[in-house]
Amino acid sequence: MLAIAEYVVRGALSGAIYALLAVPMSLMFVTVRTIDFAVGAYALIAAAVCWSVGGALGLAAGLGAAMACAAFMAIIFLALKRLGCEDHIIYALASFGLATALASLVLWWWGTQAFVRDAFSDPWSVGGIRLAPQGVINFALILLLVGALHLLIQHTSLGRMMRAAAANQTGAALASIPVQGIQVGTYLAGGLLGGLAGLLVLYSAGLDFTAPLGLTLSGFGAAIIFGIGSPLRGFFGGLAMGIAQALAAGYASAMVAGMVPFLFVLLVLTTSRFGEEALAGGRP
Amino acid sequence: MSRGLTATGIEVAFGGVHALRGVDVAVEPGKVAGLIGRNGSGKTTLFNCITGFVRPTAGRTTVDGVDVTSLPPDRVVKHGIARTFQTPRVDPRATVLSAVLCGFYSRVGASFVGSLLGVPGAWREEQRLHRRAEPILERLGLAELRGREVGQLSMGLIRLVEVARCLASGARFVLLDEPAAGLTAAEQERLAEQVRAVAASGVGVLIVEHNIGLVRSLCDTATALETGRVLCAGTPEAVVRDERVMRSYLGAIGDLAATEAAA
Amino acid sequence: MSFPGQRYLGPRPNTLIIAVCVLVALPVVLTRPVWTDSAVVLGVYALLGLSVGISYGQAGILTMSQGAFAAIGGYAAAILTTRFGWPPYADLLVAMALPAALAYGVARLVTRLSPLATALATLALGSVIEILIRNADALTGGYIGLAGIPSVGAINTPAGYACLAWGMIVVTVFLYENLMCSAYGRALNVLRVDQARARADGIDVPALMSAGFAVSAAVAGAAGWLYAHYISFLSPESLDTHISISALLMAVIGGAGYILGPIVGTLLFDGLTRLMPAAELQGFFYGAALIIILLAARTGILGLLAGLARRLRRPDATPAPRAANLSPQESLP
Ligand SMILES: Nc1ncnc2c1ncn2[C@@H]1O[C@H](COP(=O)(O)OP(=O)(O)OP(=O)(O)O)[C@@H](O)[C@H]1O
Ligand SMILES: [Mg+2]
Repeated sequence: MLAIAEYVVRGALSGAIYALLAVPMSLMFVTVRTIDFAVGAYALIAAAVCWSVGGALGLAAGLGAAMACAAFMAIIFLALKRLGCEDHIIYALASFGLATALASLVLWWWGTQAFVRDAFSDPWSVGGIRLAPQGVINFALILLLVGALHLLIQHTSLGRMMRAAAANQTGAALASIPVQGIQVGTYLAGGLLGGLAGLLVLYSAGLDFTAPLGLTLSGFGAAIIFGIGSPLRGFFGGLAMGIAQALAAGYASAMVAGMVPFLFVLLVLTTSRFGEEALAGGRP
Repeated sequence: MSRGLTATGIEVAFGGVHALRGVDVAVEPGKVAGLIGRNGSGKTTLFNCITGFVRPTAGRTTVDGVDVTSLPPDRVVKHGIARTFQTPRVDPRATVLSAVLCGFYSRVGASFVGSLLGVPGAWREEQRLHRRAEPILERLGLAELRGREVGQLSMGLIRLVEVARCLASGARFVLLDEPAAGLTAAEQERLAEQVRAVAASGVGVLIVEHNIGLVRSLCDTATALETGRVLCAGTPEAVVRDERVMRSYLGAIGDLAATEAAA
Repeated sequence: MSFPGQRYLGPRPNTLIIAVCVLVALPVVLTRPVWTDSAVVLGVYALLGLSVGISYGQAGILTMSQGAFAAIGGYAAAILTTRFGWPPYADLLVAMALPAALAYGVARLVTRLSPLATALATLALGSVIEILIRNADALTGGYIGLAGIPSVGAINTPAGYACLAWGMIVVTVFLYENLMCSAYGRALNVLRVDQARARADGIDVPALMSAGFAVSAAVAGAAGWLYAHYISFLSPESLDTHISISALLMAVIGGAGYILGPIVGTLLFDGLTRLMPAAELQGFFYGAALIIILLAARTGILGLLAGLARRLRRPDATPAPRAANLSPQESLP
């Protein structure tokens, strides 16, 4: 019994990272209708830079580096738009190229080493369950952040504009909502949140240059489990994924645990009506 | 059973929006039926419904007595119904000829694997399709353009290519959604000529058109829709002069029609 | 001008071009062992690139699982020949059928989704296959891999493999071009641009897309088969996500919508790789090249060339004015 509880708690703590990565995924999908494959790479860059610089300055430098990469992605997005590209898969493909390039840069500069730092040495013990202190901090931080974002989106005028731009881009543009600005902001938010996730991973499980694609896909998986519409759902999706992974690691094998995010994505995509073409409504 | 394409009592709802509320239309072979109505009155939705893109909550569509109501679009084509879309979205690199060849899809006999391997049967059929496309191109006056890329054509010509594609499917009924929109007067006249020729060959045509003059000169019957209901149906002359139609649909240009009627 | 086989190759310009190029270039390449070895490896990559062209360029499925399909083909070949003593020609069928069947099954489930969702599904599928291969020790040898894969019949020199590889490419291009010159190929192009139009034409969209994806997976499987027999050793690192990504990038850079685009992309990539200062930076150059090509010529090198040729032929022709209605992707040359 204790084992199950321990797995669930541990899974929830590690799932918080997925939950955090799910936020930029769902924001991006809703406002730009595409995917930023580079979110995982922003996390890697943030972690690598922070690891090198160290200290509080490292945290800031890591976030800054991630934001700079995201800004670069936003510029690519704007350039593609300027060139008349309406194909969302092309935006996704460009971000894929950026992710590949960033991971390769990290490999070149830092090599194949894992980036990991320990802020705490001894685990806490709560009611017989051993907890990694950093995991608890991550969870609390992410919960706060997602809660704040939820409030921002639901109750502020910025959030209203975002939702309007998401629901109907042309209509929103006609209502003089800066759709393009919101989209650029979404890319930047992806850099901020992805970078933050990278820092939190750095101080808990650690990561290396192969991590980005897996992180991106995990975030996407978390975002779609309960519907991609809102960060709050993504949060619970991330927890669900983390718990499933921890249980799989405990009762099945490391292999199954490694497959959990991908299986989640496959399962949700093959069974739900997610992203189904609006053919049901015909077309004008 | 009765010949022709009939839709009876069609009702369509999108969530709370009742796009169609008991609409009847009929198209006879060799005749041109007009569909008019102001923006948002449900014309395209009726097309979507007949061709299987949206499911009606009530009503029936039959082709020569065969019920096609709940068939998916790719099956409806096999019953001889083809359509164009209000906003054609074309592959800019495709040639006019290949766009028309696309229309033959529902009648292709060669298998996927046979086509891939290039078996002689598939080769011969491909050549046969090319030959069969010629008279269609000829009939719509597109023969000269067969090698041109669709992306280089004017909207009027693209719409003509779409009509040719419908005919290639061997359709006995074609539904044209505002084929004349955005065309010059000369192009409209040319389109009307082609549509008349198509109908003369025994094909039933249902056409959405905003130009009242064109409806009058082209159509054998007309149906006016308003907010998903049939406002009035009959001869084009009668429908166009109907007071309710004038008030609802003609709106701003109602005055123009009135002065024309007085003249 | 007339030439032998004109009746069959005349209407198949791409097949003709690639056949002539291979016939001219191969004898030169075979004079140096280093070139010969590269020719085989490039052949494997070119086949993978072609598989991406079929899937993404024609059917519109952005695939990120071609490496995994190739791995399935390679492992099928390795296991059948080393464990069950199959002759090394017979296993080609299984190496193609297995990935094709898997691709068809998965595609049937996900092609009704948006193209983006489909792309993610292929990425997830590739990752799952990779993990399974890594962990199925009893079957695949796990991390250690499988060694001692026999060579293909009498073909046991690099020169023989180079001929086999490029022969397979010519055949693949021929079949690919057959498909694109048929109603099904045209239908694939229609559904990529406008699914509603495709359905109104009578196309069963999910079925046809899945069939296209299955063909693409079969080609990838054949590439894996060739690789396994040539290298005679297979491990999880041999054909992984990295390969899927490079195949995709090669195809897009060369021009995925053009039959020969992926091959052009592969050759170009190879040149790029040779100029590279450090192997670690490979991904950087690939990613940068992809971004640059998307910005400068979204339809790839061949698209760029085709555009130039068009302008030369008809200097007065302006680019189509209704950009919003037009597909951003190119179709057949
Ligand atoms: N897929 C859909 N989902 C929700 N509402 C829809 C959908 N399609 C159409 N409608 C609504 O149904 C009504 C009829 O629309 P429809 O497109 O059929 O009009 P129309 O007569 O073709 O107009 P137009 O002349 O502008 O083409 C409109 O109110 C429209 O907003
Ligand atoms: Mg309409």
